[in-house]
Amino acid sequence: MTPETLHSVFEASLNQLEVSDPSRTLRSEAMASFNKLGYPTKKHENWRYTDLKPIVKAKLDPTPKSLTTDQIKQSNRLLETSLLDADAPRLVLVDGVPLSNAQTLSDIQGLTILGHKQTWQRIGELQSMELFQRHPLAALNTAFASSGILIKLSENTNVEQPLHLVFISTQTTNKATQPRILIDIGAGSKLTIVQHFIGEDSVANWTNLVTQITQSRESQLTIYRFQEYGNEQFHTELLDAKIAQDAKLKLGYVDLGGKLVRNDVQVNLAEPGAACEIFGVFLATQGQHVDNHTRIDHTAPQTTSREAFRGIIGEHGRGVFNGKVIVHRGAHGADAQQSSDNLLLSEHAEIDTKPELEIYTDDVKCAHGATVGELDAEQLFYIRSRGVDEDTAKGLLTFAFANDVLRRIEVPEVRERVASCVAGQLPDYENWGGLL
Amino acid sequence: MKKDNMLRIKGLHAQVEDRAILNGLDLKVSSGEVHAIMGPNGSGKSTLAQILAGRKNYEVTGGTIEFCGKDLLSLSTEERAREGLFLAFQYPVEIPGVNNAYLLKAALNAQRAANDEPQVDAFEFTKLIKGKMELMQMSSDFLNRSVNEGFSGGEKKRNEILQMLMLEPRLAVLDETDSGLDIDALKVVASGINSLRDSKRAIILITHYKRLLELVVPDHVHVLSEGRIVKSGDRELARTLDKQGYDWVREEAANL
Repeated sequence: MTPETLHSVFEASLNQLEVSDPSRTLRSEAMASFNKLGYPTKKHENWRYTDLKPIVKAKLDPTPKSLTTDQIKQSNRLLETSLLDADAPRLVLVDGVPLSNAQTLSDIQGLTILGHKQTWQRIGELQSMELFQRHPLAALNTAFASSGILIKLSENTNVEQPLHLVFISTQTTNKATQPRILIDIGAGSKLTIVQHFIGEDSVANWTNLVTQITQSRESQLTIYRFQEYGNEQFHTELLDAKIAQDAKLKLGYVDLGGKLVRNDVQVNLAEPGAACEIFGVFLATQGQHVDNHTRIDHTAPQTTSREAFRGIIGEHGRGVFNGKVIVHRGAHGADAQQSSDNLLLSEHAEIDTKPELEIYTDDVKCAHGATVGELDAEQLFYIRSRGVDEDTAKGLLTFAFANDVLRRIEVPEVRERVASCVAGQLPDYENWGGLL
Repeated sequence: MKKDNMLRIKGLHAQVEDRAILNGLDLKVSSGEVHAIMGPNGSGKSTLAQILAGRKNYEVTGGTIEFCGKDLLSLSTEERAREGLFLAFQYPVEIPGVNNAYLLKAALNAQRAANDEPQVDAFEFTKLIKGKMELMQMSSDFLNRSVNEGFSGGEKKRNEILQMLMLEPRLAVLDETDSGLDIDALKVVASGINSLRDSKRAIILITHYKRLLELVVPDHVHVLSEGRIVKSGDRELARTLDKQGYDWVREEAANL
């Protein structure tokens, strides 16, 4: 999907919008940004290891369209088999378009889901221009986002039950979809969101998601994001969050599917006491490319970040991790820890891992570490000494490598489903999976 | 009872990175017996335990080990375990992300498969382990915790004994299972070991101290020094060593 294609489709769809549509100006500005920047290439430092050419070359249709009966039928089939928790309240997006009859949002006190108009007003308020200029794919999302969703939680509200956002990629003419999610959490409030990406094996769409989060003081937001697309899917996303005083953001990223996956995370710990925890597990094998790119800005004093990513790279898989932590001037007492641990299961497996620390103030605590290795020989010997054969022991330990991080998922139904899906993708699962 | 020499070690020599550690070790252990192996640090006690379990870091340069009529050294680590050899580790490793239940089930079912016995299901497994956990004074949440992760020293040792009780080995080698235990934990561990003691099984206790040997009374006590067994006796030898140390044994051995 070349920039030229995008440009002409954009002009046509802009003309379809009503003159009063609040998104017009923002879209035009965003498209202008994208036209100026183009797709990121490997010449950009942030894109050195991830080449978007497969997306540029792919024939994809970026035109926002309403859903066909076939798309709805496929979605219903997937929803029947794949939900992480069938009883949880949920919003469903099919190829970027809300599937209203699959929603099960009963009234949750203090939680409102807002549509097109308010979402675009909010995008305007957030002054997203800076975001576009730094991130051409976010600009592209803004230009094309067919309908945004604004999830708004009022003050001092504790929502116990996790809210599920299900993203379905259907088998149609290959599409490029640009979902836009905004999340505003009021002061002192608490919410858990589960983002779940599913699609049939052979689907080769491109999802380019942008999530913008604003957390007011003393709020807590947790997002578990579980991507289990088929292995032909393209997925790029940017999550941008601004965290106020004593608020905490927890993010869990699990990537199992996709051909080309690039997750950008930008968290601004903007006020004293703000904290974030990011953890991730990804599997890449058989031509899969998974890139996690995180940036945490400690802009205020006494801010805390914890980050732990684990990659399991199999035959002809490629993983990338780049974790940037910037402690700005004046952010004294900042505390940042980061780790990236990777397991290579084959000699034809590649990981590029790069922690980056930039510190512009004294009196901070920062630590980072990266490991690339094989299974631990002591642990392997211990398990074998109990009579367990080597392949089974290796399977258990590979699973343990992921599971050690998956344990941070605090919703039992989600944790168990995700852990068993991860296990199912690991080598020789049939030999040891019965143990779990 | 007739000696069957379930374990027969002859002239065992072993080294690690060109440093000789075992220098012609001989030992015979029969069903129903409890043997204690004592000796100063660096005498080769743990090396012996690790070699029995099949650790590859040690190179066996001479001698033979026969276990239940089989050439032990030709078996893989897991095959040895399935033949009924169990090592309680001196430093049990932590395995974050693998539940105790996963490991125990895997171990039990591997052993059963090797003996053409049916696999245990979750129900049977729970039934089997319940009483053993009570004996080891371990709480029920333990099964869902990761193997040895965050365990105190005493909990790790009790976990080793629990695994042993589940697997019911023919030969258990306990490598300093008593070290680092307070007196209450030592009693729990000792009662676990004693509960396994019968005419079909044998136990080798590797230890520095006689206090375990007061609770699990050995039939034979051996002193290992510089990679060989230099003296053997009964439980009285352990008491003498406790009072007098090892120097006199070494001198005696040097004068032979």
